[in-house]
Amino acid sequence: MDMDMDMPLPEELELLESNFQLYDDYLDLEPPEPYPEEEQEEDHQPTPSIDPPLISETHINGHKRSRSDGSDASAPENVCPSDEKRSRFDDVDPKSDEDWLRYSPPPRETNQVVEERERAVEEKIVSRYASQIDGACIPVTAPSGDRVYAKICRVEREEPRLKKLDVKAQSGGLILEPVSILLQKVEREAFSKALQASSEGQSGITLPETPVVHEQLWVDKYAPSSFSELLSDEQTNREVLLWLKQWDSCVFGSEIRSTCDEVLSALRRHSSIAQHQKHSDSIFLRKNKGPRWRNERFENSNNLDRENSNSKGVQDLWNKKSRLTGPPEQKLLLLCGPPGLGKTTLAHIAAKHCGYHVVEVNASDDRSSSTIEAKILDVVQMNSVMADSRPKCLVIDEIDGALGDGKGAVEVLLKMVSAEKKSDMGKENIAKEEQSGKKSSKKGRKTASLSRPVICICNDLYAPALRTLRQVAKVHVFVQPTVSRVASRLKYICNKEGMKTSSIALTALAEYTECDIRSCLNTLQFLNKRNKTLSALEISSQVVGRKDMSKSAFDIWKEIFQRRKKKREIKSDNNSSSMPNEFDILHSLISNRGDYDLILDGIHENILHLHYHDPVMQKTVKCLNSLGVSDLMHQYILRTQKMSLYVYLPPSAITVHHLVAQVQRPNIEWPKSYQRSRTMWLEKMETLRSWHYKIPPYISRHLSTKSFVEDLISPLLHILSPPTLRPVALQLLSEREKNDLAQLVSTMVSYSITYKSVKSEPLPNNPRHEAVSDTSSLSFNPPINDFINFKDYSSGHCVLALAMKQVLLHEVEKQKILQVSIGRSIHSTDGCTKERKDFVEVEASRAQSTKNDCVPACVGKNMKNISQCNPSTSKMLSNLGSSESTTVGVKLKSHGVMKNSFSRSSNFFDRFKKSSSKGSQSTDVAVKKEATLRDMHPLLFKFNEGFTNAVKRPVRIRDFLL
Amino acid sequence: MALLVDKHRPRTLDNLSYHSDLSARLRALAQSGDFPHLLVYGPSGAGKKTRIVATLRELYGPGVEKIKIDSRVFQTTSNRKLEFNIVASVYHLEITPSDVGNYDRVVVQDLLKEVAQTQQVDLGAKQRFKVVVINEADHLTRDAQAALRRTMEKYSPNLRLILLANSTSNIIAPIRSRTLLVRVAAPSEDEICQVLKRVGEKEHFRDVEALNQKIAKDSGRNLRRALLMYEAVHAQNEVVTEKSLVPPPDWEALIAQIADEIIEEHTPARILQVRAKLYDLLTHCIPATTILKTLTWKLIPKIDDELKPDIIRWSAFYEHRIRLGTKVIFHLEAFVAKFMRVLESYLNGIELDFD
Repeated sequence: MDMDMDMPLPEELELLESNFQLYDDYLDLEPPEPYPEEEQEEDHQPTPSIDPPLISETHINGHKRSRSDGSDASAPENVCPSDEKRSRFDDVDPKSDEDWLRYSPPPRETNQVVEERERAVEEKIVSRYASQIDGACIPVTAPSGDRVYAKICRVEREEPRLKKLDVKAQSGGLILEPVSILLQKVEREAFSKALQASSEGQSGITLPETPVVHEQLWVDKYAPSSFSELLSDEQTNREVLLWLKQWDSCVFGSEIRSTCDEVLSALRRHSSIAQHQKHSDSIFLRKNKGPRWRNERFENSNNLDRENSNSKGVQDLWNKKSRLTGPPEQKLLLLCGPPGLGKTTLAHIAAKHCGYHVVEVNASDDRSSSTIEAKILDVVQMNSVMADSRPKCLVIDEIDGALGDGKGAVEVLLKMVSAEKKSDMGKENIAKEEQSGKKSSKKGRKTASLSRPVICICNDLYAPALRTLRQVAKVHVFVQPTVSRVASRLKYICNKEGMKTSSIALTALAEYTECDIRSCLNTLQFLNKRNKTLSALEISSQVVGRKDMSKSAFDIWKEIFQRRKKKREIKSDNNSSSMPNEFDILHSLISNRGDYDLILDGIHENILHLHYHDPVMQKTVKCLNSLGVSDLMHQYILRTQKMSLYVYLPPSAITVHHLVAQVQRPNIEWPKSYQRSRTMWLEKMETLRSWHYKIPPYISRHLSTKSFVEDLISPLLHILSPPTLRPVALQLLSEREKNDLAQLVSTMVSYSITYKSVKSEPLPNNPRHEAVSDTSSLSFNPPINDFINFKDYSSGHCVLALAMKQVLLHEVEKQKILQVSIGRSIHSTDGCTKERKDFVEVEASRAQSTKNDCVPACVGKNMKNISQCNPSTSKMLSNLGSSESTTVGVKLKSHGVMKNSFSRSSNFFDRFKKSSSKGSQSTDVAVKKEATLRDMHPLLFKFNEGFTNAVKRPVRIRDFLL
Repeated sequence: MALLVDKHRPRTLDNLSYHSDLSARLRALAQSGDFPHLLVYGPSGAGKKTRIVATLRELYGPGVEKIKIDSRVFQTTSNRKLEFNIVASVYHLEITPSDVGNYDRVVVQDLLKEVAQTQQVDLGAKQRFKVVVINEADHLTRDAQAALRRTMEKYSPNLRLILLANSTSNIIAPIRSRTLLVRVAAPSEDEICQVLKRVGEKEHFRDVEALNQKIAKDSGRNLRRALLMYEAVHAQNEVVTEKSLVPPPDWEALIAQIADEIIEEHTPARILQVRAKLYDLLTHCIPATTILKTLTWKLIPKIDDELKPDIIRWSAFYEHRIRLGTKVIFHLEAFVAKFMRVLESYLNGIELDFD
């Protein structure tokens, strides 16, 4: 166990040493000054938040602020137990890692410490989450990576002295060296540093008055040079590091692996917890200085880490997995966040820290797909022959600005990632199927795959260019560092530069710039250059250039609906001057965002969800009115193209803010309903329009889409499904009912409505039902019943029985075919003036004849059928004959015969389907013969394509001709 | 022929049952040989289109009834293809430019010029000009209307326009001055009853005078709706009596529900519920102005007389806003809120402030 853990250490050390010079200094300096291992002791340490001497000292060590201030004091009492305990556990506990972690301390552990622990827990001074501690806190990391936050509080006994010493001095009793010596050291360091600086032409400390031509920007000068100096959020830092570390086995080979497994697991364990990152790496490096002991103590004393043991198994699993697969699952890392928080810095530092040579591609470079591909290949596959033989890590900066050509970068990356995935799958296949595996892995080799980490950096995570990238990359969103951290860093820099500032002013500055470190530093440098001092009051005046930041729509809605409950609130009670202030803030916020339409939609969507006091609806009315006004204005601006009027749109949102803003946090939803209703409306309109076009023009010309929905559909549905229609066989209908049916069918045809079979979901719980519902149900073909299908509304429309619908569908289809054939025959005749009228009449008579044809096939009724049928036909013929020229009449007549026989034959099959007496067949055929003979016209035989009555029966032509 | 509305639609000016003086005037115009541009306006269901079709028949004879649908493709300036359907006979065209929304100008320009620049070929035709009927002319954009102006003057030998609109308010003044305004008023309830009776006779329906009156009243003097309701009642009931239920259009029933809800409770939460229903109505293609109007008429009987003028005023106010704006839901909701406010303050005895 011990061997396992310690053996690889030197290797890692070596590697990191070679890459990371700073550690050398660090280790060199280590022996004289014992490292503070127990930062938890902080709770009884006097810890002034800013401690210049110490900071400068640590800075020399390459760990500017890493050694949290004042922790040195705890060293003396901890050093001895540390060694002692480690040796003890080495003897006692040769078991697995888990056991070792679970090991509970023997009671003889330094009582003092235990007591302190207990107290700490009691008072909630140590916590896993920084948020649980109010007030200043300091992160503490154990070698295992466990991290807690300790509250910083001063202990009474030291307070008087502290006050005396103020920030300049440290209570000497707890440090190895007396304060005076430390101070001397610091001075010496500062002096040498200043000398060095002046010799390099970078004055500013010793010679602040001398104008320097080539002054370095503070931003660059004080850019963090090591991982531990990063100001950005700990958790993000660590996760980035973790991700980079996961590449180790793939990039550096296997010898590194075992150490980094432990590191990884530690990092991993904390990726879910808010944490602080300063010491982790240095601690890992100094493992032989008693990490065991510390870990152990940490475990025991801090009961908060309970889940560690639980999750241990999982972590082991994970370790194993990482050992097998090598590079992390997501090959790309996407860092995003507002400007000035140190994304680029983090990417560079982390990559450097993990031993990579950073290759950066930013917006200034050519990013078309061909060049970027070459570049990536260069990074991924080549190694420099020059001195710098470290593996490369690609950092693609400002990727969200990738438009046009720049999109190539995203595409190339995506291509590579997908290629990688394919080859991965191929590798898996090797285990099962060698051949196919080889094939696919070959394929993977063809398109270059990513074998080096790629970090992408963007400001706007939701930029359209990144949509696809977002899905494959591991995304980290940067959050603002706390104001106090930024302020203390600024303070440190100011001290270094010899600039007089107050903490209050710096805090205000940090707040004002929303923790944009870059802008803070630039401002400070600017002020320093002009020999001005920063005061808290000045910040809000014009001195500091305010960033033109656009916030997300959600933030803006929150601002509108939520009243700020800061001092400003109190002020507003006292004087009214803060009113315009708030107005200004909101106004600039909204106008910077610009998307007024969206903002107003969001207000509309959410306003009624708020809980504001409004007994007589006055506020609601006012809010909705101002929304209405904004809509009118928006429309007016669009219509007249007077864009300058856009400045008047934000005030309506501000009105809403003043009316309904509440202190409690609003629950804001993205405005979807307007868009949703619009798309649905468009869909419906499309349905309506296509239906409109299908209806023959002599009807549709009288209807507009408006009258469709308003007047037509509801009554039409009533008309189309009369309850009086009995779902019985057609032959059982009375004369009147048959009439109604014919009417209904002709209505349906003329409005081009049919029934369409819709698959209904079978009811699983009812097996008997299933058989029925398998045969799909019928609904209107242009789905006109959708138009009355409101939510929470049941219409009183009755629905026809399925059988009835089937009958109707059948009849409608038949009617349509007849109409087409008639239409054709009419078209063949020349367009005479009376055509329309005749057409109508033909239709009517045809409807009648069809109805007659519907009469079922009882043998007895057959004759009657003919007699019924013939008068109508003859009537029609005579009708036509009188009005038309004889040729037309003949044609129509012949057509009439055709139709007659046709409809009859279909009817005949109908009958057959209904399995009435088979004997009727022959008589029926005979009847047909008679009819044809009587008409004395040559037989017109017509085959209607696509129409069948479901039952086919061979009938000889001879039978017809006879 | 299908429904009663279509089946018994009059085809000639002689057969039109009401506004006989108007029919006479149209006939005189058609026979005069100097047919002017017409702007026919009136509420829907008053018989504008029927009258115009009859007038066309008077102009050209029955050949004008032989119509077909032409599908044309227009190209906009931004190279978008627009499909547009035209109902056409040899003598005339009917177009609905509002089908293509904002691109109606393209259609009007291209189509009218094309029509106007071709002379009537058929020498046997009664008239030398072609007629273009523009449906829903009040939905024409300003651009399209402006495009019409010059065309009307320049091509008057070859082209006559008949604009159909619900009201003249959306039609720009230059066009109004170039056309003869013909108002087709909605038929009175008595006239509707007569029509229903006649249709019933033809169809051999049982004539129930009281039911006819009820239908006429419910239809809001819209003859199309009256006829459809009449047919629906007869389709739904085997034997029609005075007490037969006349089913209202479904959207109207839903608006009645909304009105009940509004009267019931006056809170923002209730507006939220109403909002869902309003959205529902809007997605079912019911125009916002119709919703507002119907809602007002459903609310009016439920409130005190004193409040009625006020509510009507606000209804008109928000209807105006609906016409001006685009996000109709804002204004519909604002009306609901306003109504609640007015009612609430009235019930609490608070004097209304004028906001």
